[in-house]
Amino acid sequence: MKRFGYILFLMLAVVASVQAQQDTIYDLGEVVVSDSRLYKFSQNLKTETLKDSVLQRNTATLTDLLTFNSLIYFKENGYGMVSSPSFRGTNAAQTAVIWNGININSPINGQVDFNTVMTNAYDAVTIRSGGGSVQYGSGAVGGSVHLENRIAFDEDDSHRYQVRYGSFNTLSYNLRSQLSGKNSYLDAGIDRITSDNDYEYPGTGIRNRNGAFEHLNLSLNTGYKLDDKNTLGFFGMFGDSDRNFSGTLTAPASDKYADKNIRSMLKWTNTGRSYESELRIAYLFERYEYYADHESDRYTFGRQHSAIADYNLDYHISSRIKTSLLLNYTSVSADGSNIGDNNRNTLAVGLMADHTLSEHWKYGINLRQEFLNEFDNPMVFSAYTIYRVLPEYSIKANISRNYRVPTFNDLFWDTGGNEDLEPEHSMQYELGNILNFHPFRFTVNLFYIKAKDMIKWQPDTSGQWVPVNVASATNYGLELRGKYKISIGEHQLHFNASYAYTKAIDNNTDKQLIYVPYHKITGLADYSFRRWNAYYQFLMNGEVYTTTDNSDTVDAYMVANLGINYRFFQRDHGLTLGLRIANIFDKYYENVAYRPMPGRNFQFQLTYNIN
Amino acid sequence: MKQFKRFGFALLGVLFLVSCSNDDDTTEIITGDYANGILITNEGPFNNGTGTLSFIPQDLSQIENEVYQGVNDEELGNIVQSLGFAGDDAYVVVNNSNRIVVADRYTLENTATIEEGQLQPRAFAGTNDKGFVTNWGDPYDNDDDFVSVIDLDSKTVTGEIPVDFGPEKILYNGTYIYVAHQGGYGQNNLISVIDPTDETVVKTITVAYSPNSMVISGNTLWVLCGGKPSYADEETAGELVKIDMTTNEVTLNLAFGVTDHPSNLTAAGSNMFYTLNGGVYQTTVSTQALPDTAAFEGSFYSLTAHDGYLFGTDAGDYASRGSVIIFDITNFNQVQTFTAGIIPGGVYFND
Repeated sequence: MKRFGYILFLMLAVVASVQAQQDTIYDLGEVVVSDSRLYKFSQNLKTETLKDSVLQRNTATLTDLLTFNSLIYFKENGYGMVSSPSFRGTNAAQTAVIWNGININSPINGQVDFNTVMTNAYDAVTIRSGGGSVQYGSGAVGGSVHLENRIAFDEDDSHRYQVRYGSFNTLSYNLRSQLSGKNSYLDAGIDRITSDNDYEYPGTGIRNRNGAFEHLNLSLNTGYKLDDKNTLGFFGMFGDSDRNFSGTLTAPASDKYADKNIRSMLKWTNTGRSYESELRIAYLFERYEYYADHESDRYTFGRQHSAIADYNLDYHISSRIKTSLLLNYTSVSADGSNIGDNNRNTLAVGLMADHTLSEHWKYGINLRQEFLNEFDNPMVFSAYTIYRVLPEYSIKANISRNYRVPTFNDLFWDTGGNEDLEPEHSMQYELGNILNFHPFRFTVNLFYIKAKDMIKWQPDTSGQWVPVNVASATNYGLELRGKYKISIGEHQLHFNASYAYTKAIDNNTDKQLIYVPYHKITGLADYSFRRWNAYYQFLMNGEVYTTTDNSDTVDAYMVANLGINYRFFQRDHGLTLGLRIANIFDKYYENVAYRPMPGRNFQFQLTYNIN
Repeated sequence: MKQFKRFGFALLGVLFLVSCSNDDDTTEIITGDYANGILITNEGPFNNGTGTLSFIPQDLSQIENEVYQGVNDEELGNIVQSLGFAGDDAYVVVNNSNRIVVADRYTLENTATIEEGQLQPRAFAGTNDKGFVTNWGDPYDNDDDFVSVIDLDSKTVTGEIPVDFGPEKILYNGTYIYVAHQGGYGQNNLISVIDPTDETVVKTITVAYSPNSMVISGNTLWVLCGGKPSYADEETAGELVKIDMTTNEVTLNLAFGVTDHPSNLTAAGSNMFYTLNGGVYQTTVSTQALPDTAAFEGSFYSLTAHDGYLFGTDAGDYASRGSVIIFDITNFNQVQTFTAGIIPGGVYFND
């Protein structure tokens, strides 16, 4: 019955969407995108870009943003703690995070903790559903999340000063200035959040213990236009996070996790009449310390340095045939308490071609081969076609082979690490339908992923836990998304709804994988009138299994947030006062078993914008 | 298991009773009497869940899971490590919640929950008036390990005996308390002998590394040592060690091969069993040598012999419900297989 309700809601959303109007295109003076592959070779896939206004609506972390604004499911070990994404039923190591075009998944554990990524520093966050290993390498299996800073010349300067304070003594501020000249650009920002995070589990009288966290993020992005053909860009960020890891209903905790990240990249873009070349030189650093007892100074650590040279040449053979060459050399060295001191060098060569046959029909083929590693160096490909059946209706079909390489933990963990591991491989097939009755847009995507040789830690005969390429999974499902936007006089209304059905089967047991919900729904209603704005957003995560035999579950839950903003002064010189009420119905819910999430909580926000 | 914990995986499955809608292994709750049967401790998932108790009646006809929750409408806590009986009570040692849950051993009604003075408790043994609980303390500190002393009348902690690091299994022979120092996350090679009256360590006996199980037979204490595993600084052989409890001296050492690391020593009558390299080995309590070949094949998370039966537990992938497999001790035929809770780790006979 409950399920029927959701379906009904979706149908209404679809019907409503028929009258909707398309989002206005984000328009800037002259913009150099940092992740051009996202725009040039991703039309075949479903991408959804979240811009400034949406980034501002949610709180500071990438988990908060994407939980409510995408179909990615998050497994969060209590609010603000380790957060692992699941894209189409895949796991965190099968989700790539791309920072300005560079894959930043940790070579140590294969993932990015989405609760350590502060979103205020970025101009856009794009969710690219579907395989992307050809373009982005290891981990782009289920999909990828792209963090982008744009370099914009000849634009107005803008400044933002924001302070937020709310429940659980959560204080955050964000200062950011973007200065744009005819040939130069500077973007500098600072983000800071601290929280006691000692929320009460609704209705229990029990408080979240040992959950305090703090994050600091500094960012600096600059660009300089040398001449009409050449642009230089520098992208840099520094992140410093310190979190205690909260306990559960049954287990107290005293551990702490501190991590630091440095990401920097120099990028040279050279464009000509029929080509564009991009050279990136990047350096990534990461260090974590894990304290079993936060009061003790005893810890274990892991650390990695990556040096990356990445070259991309796009060449237009004709107006209809575009080709692209990709060369990437990545050198990683990592050490740590349990992984010794090890290196990995990878050379990747990619070729992409995109052929427009007619106004209605195009297709593309992409290939990537890696070299230098001791395991089987992956050869991956993707092929796609887009066909416009009607002016209002297009079909996209896509097939890709993707991979993720074993992590340093998998290979070298003392004890258990297995140096004989091979990369995981998967095939993904996707069919997308886009309905584009102007101004309406609605998408339906079907996907099928078959993953094999998946790395799984399991006990050997002596009881020692060892990772082996043993698991295989079949994921398939459906994603729907609809939008509706209407203006009546000074009233603006905006609705958004999306739904995903995901079946993710462990082929050895025929059971659904743990922590993959069958259903996820997100919804948004946004209303603006003159200087007022109010929004209501909600999320429904379906029931998930917590045991591999599907014997135990975490209940489905629905959470809703409400926000109200009022803008003083003029648009180009605005002071906005906002209130956000999270979990407005004060629902008790667990995202991970035995780790209740916060009840109703409040956050006041004061933003001063100069544009 | 300890490797698993150390790795900090939170991916283990989780037991969430409230939402268990179609549990096909729980049968109708038998109220009141858990006498004359077998209690199984299920560790449960690490951090995100609770451990449980299962009950198998003496006739081995069925299993009833989550019996403690059924009676008390509350959960035991995280990582139900082991259980010990004393008087009319069962003392359930809940490792990661740092507590001892005391329940009437026949009705399983909670009589006390002891949280005072417990830090990573492992195992319980009781005399007539006192209970003794091995505690690791901070697992990364080798100098704070202790045995907690509980007054069985008041169910309160009355003392603490500092011991060498890594105390694990504990047994009472009527005179002394014997503590095997398996060595926590590392390895140790001692047996502490504690006088329960004045609560002091009267002797430490050196055995081989990783003493993981003990059996009392008459005046003999058999100690099975796993040896240092291959990933340790130096791999060492397992050993079966015989100790004369009248003198507390080692009288016989039976060494395994260097790469052999046996565990789960258990005895029923004169028969003694242990597990090694995917096999169950049979010997006797008066043996002078180790058997050459396995009695039958099988890998078990725990193995317990009792009254003509061998009870093996299988934790499966450690992220789903495990099973209890019961064998006839005479021919090793499988008599029963039951689905228990997550990571069934101990079998205890309530008779």
